[in-house]
Amino acid sequence: MSDATINQIHPRRADGVIAPISEDWLAVVLGLFIFVLALAALANVDLIGWVVTTAVWGNLGQALKATSKGYASLGGLGALIATYAALTVVLGAAAAAAKGDVKRFVLAFTAVFWIAYASWVVGNFAHFAAVTPAEQQKFGINWSLKLTGEGGLIFALIAGLIIANFFPRFAEAIKEAVRPELYIKIAIVILGGFIAVTAAGKLNLASSLVLRGVAAIVEAYLIYWAVVYFVARKWFGFSREWAAPLASGISICGVAASIATGSAIRARPVVPVLVSSLVVIFAVFEVLILPFLAQIFLSHEPLVAGAWIGLAVKTDGAAVAAGGITESLILAKNAAEGINYQPGWILGTAATIKVFIDVFIGIWAFVLGYIWTNHINVTQKQDKAKLREIWQRFPKFIIGFVITFAVGLYLALGTPAEIAKNVPAAIGEANTFRVIFFILTFFSIGVLSNFRTLWQEGFGKLAAVYLVSLFGFVVWVGLLISWIFFGGITPPLAS
Amino acid sequence: MTQSDIREELRGDRSEPLLPIEKKLIGWSLTIGLVLLVALAIFNHFAPATF
Repeated sequence: MSDATINQIHPRRADGVIAPISEDWLAVVLGLFIFVLALAALANVDLIGWVVTTAVWGNLGQALKATSKGYASLGGLGALIATYAALTVVLGAAAAAAKGDVKRFVLAFTAVFWIAYASWVVGNFAHFAAVTPAEQQKFGINWSLKLTGEGGLIFALIAGLIIANFFPRFAEAIKEAVRPELYIKIAIVILGGFIAVTAAGKLNLASSLVLRGVAAIVEAYLIYWAVVYFVARKWFGFSREWAAPLASGISICGVAASIATGSAIRARPVVPVLVSSLVVIFAVFEVLILPFLAQIFLSHEPLVAGAWIGLAVKTDGAAVAAGGITESLILAKNAAEGINYQPGWILGTAATIKVFIDVFIGIWAFVLGYIWTNHINVTQKQDKAKLREIWQRFPKFIIGFVITFAVGLYLALGTPAEIAKNVPAAIGEANTFRVIFFILTFFSIGVLSNFRTLWQEGFGKLAAVYLVSLFGFVVWVGLLISWIFFGGITPPLAS
Repeated sequence: MTQSDIREELRGDRSEPLLPIEKKLIGWSLTIGLVLLVALAIFNHFAPATF
């Protein structure tokens, strides 16, 4: 178990100081900050157009550029340095607000940013990323792995895995900035606005998808959890204290769910922490495998693929980012067949599913807490599960997601045409930051995944439950549920 | 709790039989889940997503 994962779970410094602001609220503040800066473009003030973006490249000199033409004079490297400097300042301030060691954070973040972004740039090399024959011709190449630009996320993940497993001391040195949950939560807050703009054009379809998402999640909770708990208890002989967090971790939403469950049933802290580290490891395998399976088998059911990824991949970071890779792979395959779907719908479906899953964690933890404290480990009155725990466990970053979604939807649908027409471009700038936070998330997940350490800790039995449950049940039931609720629905065609 | 304690605990085979309340939890979750699945699938069939 890496310390980084433990620190990520308990917002507490090594000297025992409890962070005054939670990771969730930090994500809300930072995500909204970027979102608001982006919206300044609606008043013709381009505050974040300098953020760097990467295109598929054959010549490295053409890989990078500023998002906005107004900042073209910066050049690609200038935009990259500006992005690094801005993120360092903002995230350094966040580290200070959380009473972290700012100097250590800045040094660590410098390494995290440059290695992660370099991996992303490598992943955009034409031989890796070009998809269509036209693209190959454009770059003068006759073969490519067709991973799409989003395949750069896989490169970032692999870079993190190499560091975790071959350079553990370096991984330890940069752990201060290895914060996958923080990065993905900021990305999800920003994503709310992007999904709103995407949904605005097809509001009926979007609301249908949301309703189906809720239905799918209720199913996932009720069916997944019960089966995994039974498997862990009956087949593998785990005690209740291990089986409940394990069932929540495998069946619901990894880290957050296992911690909430552990706390609800009053398990020892070590139990959900160990389960969480297992979840992170398996999420890596899922990210490396499932998007490509989705491309092969579900390319003609794009929204089934998005929902399936949201239901099957555990941890927010891995699930939402895997949704991004899946979207890219499926859109590319369809484009090669002459079908051009509007981007955003597959990722939006995966993210919506994941967000609703997060919302339900608090409710499910309360249900388990009620049963445990009243029927299994009957406790004193003051230690029984309380309704306010639902709020305490509510993932607050979702508030940020809802705000950016609502504001984005209002701006796209409720403002005069001359303002509304600029909304996609403005939110697009914020979305470039979202991609960067995805990259940081993938790299961080890799750095937290030290396979050797886990093996030494004797995780074989826990891993066996995970393997049997995930690939023998969760993945398939998730696919069935996704098919029932999303089958036959396709994203709108790109205009 | 030391590393070896955890290892021993995880490898151990402490038998802790399913209590009636656990069986109820599993049974009710599955039953409600499957009934809802059928009901929602029927609803979904008659009220498909619209553009």
